[in-house]
Amino acid sequence: MTSATIAGGPVCPTPVTETERVLLGHGSGGKMSARLVRDRFLSRFASPTLELLGDGAVVRLGDAELVVSTDTFVVSPLEFPGGNIGSLAVHGTVNDVAMMGAEPKYLSAGFVLEEGLLLDLLDRIVHTMANAAVAAGVTLVAGDTKVVERGKADGMYINTTGLGAVRSDFRPVPTAARPGDAVLVSGPLGRHGIAVMAARNGIAFETTIESDSAALSPLVAALHQSVGAAVHVLRDPTRGGLASALNEIAAAAGVGIELDETSVPVPGPVEAVCEMLGFDPLYVANEGVLVALVEAEAAPRALRALRAHPLGADAAQIGKVIDRHPGIVAMKTAIGGSRVVDMLPGDQLPRIC
Amino acid sequence: MKYLSEYRDPALARTLIERIRHTATRRWVLMEVCGGQTHTIVKQGINQLLTEQVEMVHGPGCPVCVTPLEQIDRALHLAKDARVIFTSFGDMLRVPGSECDLFQIRARGGDVRVVYSPLDALALARHHPDRDGVFFAVGFETTAPANAMAVWQAHVQGVENFSMLVSHVTVPPAMVAILESPDNRVQGFLAAGHVCTVMGWTEYEPLAKRYEVPIVVTGFEPLDILEGIYMAVCQLEDGRHEVENQYVRSVRRDGNQPAQELVTRVFELVDRPWRGIGVIPGSGLRLRPEFSAFDAERKFGLAGIRAEEPSACRAGDVLRGKLKPFECAAFGTACTPEHPLGAPMVSSEGACAAYYNYGRMQSVVSEEVSP
Amino acid sequence: MCLGIPGRIVEIQERDGLATGLVDFGGVRREVCLAYVADDVEVGDYAIVHVGFAISLVDEDEARRTFEILQEMSQLDELEWMREIAERSLSARQPEVTP
Repeated sequence: MTSATIAGGPVCPTPVTETERVLLGHGSGGKMSARLVRDRFLSRFASPTLELLGDGAVVRLGDAELVVSTDTFVVSPLEFPGGNIGSLAVHGTVNDVAMMGAEPKYLSAGFVLEEGLLLDLLDRIVHTMANAAVAAGVTLVAGDTKVVERGKADGMYINTTGLGAVRSDFRPVPTAARPGDAVLVSGPLGRHGIAVMAARNGIAFETTIESDSAALSPLVAALHQSVGAAVHVLRDPTRGGLASALNEIAAAAGVGIELDETSVPVPGPVEAVCEMLGFDPLYVANEGVLVALVEAEAAPRALRALRAHPLGADAAQIGKVIDRHPGIVAMKTAIGGSRVVDMLPGDQLPRIC
Repeated sequence: MKYLSEYRDPALARTLIERIRHTATRRWVLMEVCGGQTHTIVKQGINQLLTEQVEMVHGPGCPVCVTPLEQIDRALHLAKDARVIFTSFGDMLRVPGSECDLFQIRARGGDVRVVYSPLDALALARHHPDRDGVFFAVGFETTAPANAMAVWQAHVQGVENFSMLVSHVTVPPAMVAILESPDNRVQGFLAAGHVCTVMGWTEYEPLAKRYEVPIVVTGFEPLDILEGIYMAVCQLEDGRHEVENQYVRSVRRDGNQPAQELVTRVFELVDRPWRGIGVIPGSGLRLRPEFSAFDAERKFGLAGIRAEEPSACRAGDVLRGKLKPFECAAFGTACTPEHPLGAPMVSSEGACAAYYNYGRMQSVVSEEVSP
Repeated sequence: MCLGIPGRIVEIQERDGLATGLVDFGGVRREVCLAYVADDVEVGDYAIVHVGFAISLVDEDEARRTFEILQEMSQLDELEWMREIAERSLSARQPEVTP
């Protein structure tokens, strides 16, 4: 234990926070994750496209422009209310491609199966996955399967890579956020994270909350058709929740974001669980919601387009982009005060106080 | 949610804010001794909305933050043991010990699990008779009845492979320590509503009288906090110093008798060190000798594990309300939730974390935020 | 210490010799130990729950009274402010008079 002194007087001893090992927090989508990617990965691969850290990458092959995105799914339990790892694997990657404004077309899937996994369970997952692909309008064109020893892979891990067709007139990107843009969400927050937690052992509670896992491409298409390039940014707030997604956008574009607490839609049961555990719904994962930063004048039309689709029935404006406090997301609270909505270092932990 | 969401009504909040603004003829210094109340105050921007009328000083109300370094080290020692299933409330996992924290022990292979209730910890021990279940029993008086019940049930059911590492603290001695401090500026207190739900408020009556400070038992939602502040300010303006109850929907003067009885049956009062503050006499709870079979310290012989708290540590000043988090030289620079220097920045109930996460820029948000 | 939230008791049973209940928190349900409120508890009551234990029963009359007081305060204040605003606009039409 070392003691650090900073100008201004003695300070607390420094506990060892530099670690030699990967921690769970590195996978939470918060600051630890960002640091891991930046320090251990980006620095090794000389790739300007990679450094953009978008949901997907735009690549060129000859005359064609494509979007590529990859995602790995390790959710436990494998089955949860509202879906399973298979449907999640389709929706997650389809959505990453869609958030680039592109039209998802093809998927590849790699499976790592744990020795001892019940074949019935595998069947159910693959069945759901196939249905999800059909519903999302994507075709599985390549696949791979590996089996590992009992005790690894938590039953099953799935990686999916998606390919989509760029829409040349529709290229939302985080750096395009501008002061004055309206911040819209397509639906209520927190359902996926809470549904998965309810299905795990440890913190048991009964609820009817289902994961919102869904392909968002129809909503993206609706936005493209209704307001086109007035959509500056699209993001699906998965791990780390809405707060992490907005912080990333604010940092990328060098703008401030201001939210209105009373406008943020959170379903009652999600709020209840968050109260029980001391969680903030802004940080809970979503798998069927998108955030859109849209030019202010186009916002009403964009909301109408979203609400016309079942997935977007509860779409709402929750704030706006401003030119103050760049990189910081702030929120006006229900009672008229203000708070910062920061990115968390790691996962939220249930608290007792 | 009924009996929760109504206490966030913006119109009624504005009424209370205006009342406080009209009632206060000077700036008063109030302290809350409860991490949950600190959380609400900073998260909702209450301290900022009332900054001219009230200076909110945040007391040592975070049981996670005040858990002595020694107890954390003992927890880490137990969690490393392959036989042990180490269970804890979630926010203890990130608190740094002398060398690392429980998360890092887990990364190295320790079986560390988060539970919501101490009874879940007991159930785990029953399900794994070949392992030793150890529960990190941290908290104020609110949590003591739950922890007492877990031990009582273990005793009644003869569960031999269950024990608790106890680190319980009580509020009134901490308030006395603050009031006795020569440079104390606190003029009134918000007492913790759930601590008082269990204990009642009779212990606070002699304090209000002896130190001539108003003490208002207060809840946790924005309207509760605002009403509690309003009641305290009214007392101060009137020159009164009584114990009043704002949290009437949950707190009665004698508290919860059955809960107090079991706590007294299972635990006894001891002197306890508070991290960053030092030993406060009669401020802790320890399992009684007849329940020593469930005391992890005795069962695993942990007395030899000692840790020296450094004598000069700013976390203590924050916990005692002498220093606002943003007045610490390291706040937001060397010390952030990502690389915390002390427990109040680690725990989400800690004052430093609350300010960093919610309150880093006051008066930033514009008046109108509307579509 | 503090994280206690109100829930409605929908079922009461006994488990391991302790009164246990199923409590509904705004649509989410969890099993809660009712040992500390066992003497008075009835289905339909609201309780404050902390780490899986009911530590008090919500006094619904007191809760309602708190609210009524706050609402009265709010209405009174509105009348006050309306009067202030009226007085201010009245004085705005007249030349400034130093008190």
